[in-house]
Amino acid sequence: MTFSDETLGAYVDGELDAATRAALEAAMATDPQLAVRIARQRALRMQVREAFAPVLSEPVPERLLAAARGLPAAARPGNVLAFPARPRPRWSWPQWGAIAASLVVGVLLGPLLLRPSAPLATSGGRVVASGVLARALSQQLASAQPRGAAVAIGVSFRGRSGGYCRSFVLHETQSLAGLACREGPAWEVVALAQSAAPGSGGYTQASSALPPAVSRTLDELIVGEPLDAAGEAAARAHDWRP
Amino acid sequence: MQELRTDLVELLPRLRRFARVLARNAHDADDLVQTAIERALAHAGQLRADLPVAGWLFGILRHAWIDEQRARGRRGRLFAAAESGEQVADSAHGAPLETLAVQDAVARLPEEQRLAVALVLVEGLSYKEAAHIMEVPIGTLTSRLARAREALQAMLGDATEHSG
Repeated sequence: MTFSDETLGAYVDGELDAATRAALEAAMATDPQLAVRIARQRALRMQVREAFAPVLSEPVPERLLAAARGLPAAARPGNVLAFPARPRPRWSWPQWGAIAASLVVGVLLGPLLLRPSAPLATSGGRVVASGVLARALSQQLASAQPRGAAVAIGVSFRGRSGGYCRSFVLHETQSLAGLACREGPAWEVVALAQSAAPGSGGYTQASSALPPAVSRTLDELIVGEPLDAAGEAAARAHDWRP
Repeated sequence: MQELRTDLVELLPRLRRFARVLARNAHDADDLVQTAIERALAHAGQLRADLPVAGWLFGILRHAWIDEQRARGRRGRLFAAAESGEQVADSAHGAPLETLAVQDAVARLPEEQRLAVALVLVEGLSYKEAAHIMEVPIGTLTSRLARAREALQAMLGDATEHSG
């Protein structure tokens, strides 16, 4: 007996009638592939649920509490934002993991992380460049970009920690712009967002076309001026060691 | 009325979560919740004693969401616009990447599939309750749910390891 994905979904949703459930559970005992498919459905349900669970423990904005209590608008506290501005943090390297996560804006990460030749990988909760992106960050000079390359390098500069950072535009099915900073042998991606610029041309604009979230991070991190062509070449010659 | 207010305050975290699945942007989501609360209090007379308050409120919020989308048009809803992106970033501050990847994938589902995911997978409602809120037959709900699951698995990379 074969079971459709819809049936397996209904099983993990607790919606199967008793007879089908019994048949499914009996089949599961002898069919490891079926068991794997069910485990996958169960994992997906849990993954989705957990992705939104943190909302439940967020403080409820005052304006919503006031509305729920039926207070007239005049009696309500001002139009308090759901997420009042946090005090401007002083950036430091250990915070970057969290910043990276917060600045991955509007980008579908799954395919970028999970396919075999992915340009991104995770390492200890951080996103690091991999494959074509890692190679470009280590090798490619903004002053000598190969035509039609998958990655365009923008500016290179010294970050607050003293290490080198580089901006890039990754031409995937969509254009993604980001910043990566050298951390040991790896390039940690500290910001990534959908690039407003379409995926062709624009090599020379790789920095000016940065989405706001990325250019803001750049402004936070940059110390001094971006490297010129000679500085870039020299940094590459030292393998981007500070 | 007082009872409804008490229920509303209690249900606020769930309403916010539900709205977040639909709207994604935290600020827009809270605006939806606020609209839903105001409508609920204005139409408290329509609340039937034999129906769970949560389901009634989810239905009101769904309508508020539909109205909002009509008003805005669909442009710019698929991806976070540059400005609203900052709000997304704010709400997601410090969230693990896997969480973000899942939220991203859900945000990319077609609206009706996302609604089914919100009600069944996130809120844990029964098919019957969810179909009632969506105002569709159960069969429509289950097929939307199945398509949503397939799309999510594909987006989250599961398809690469499972070619069958």
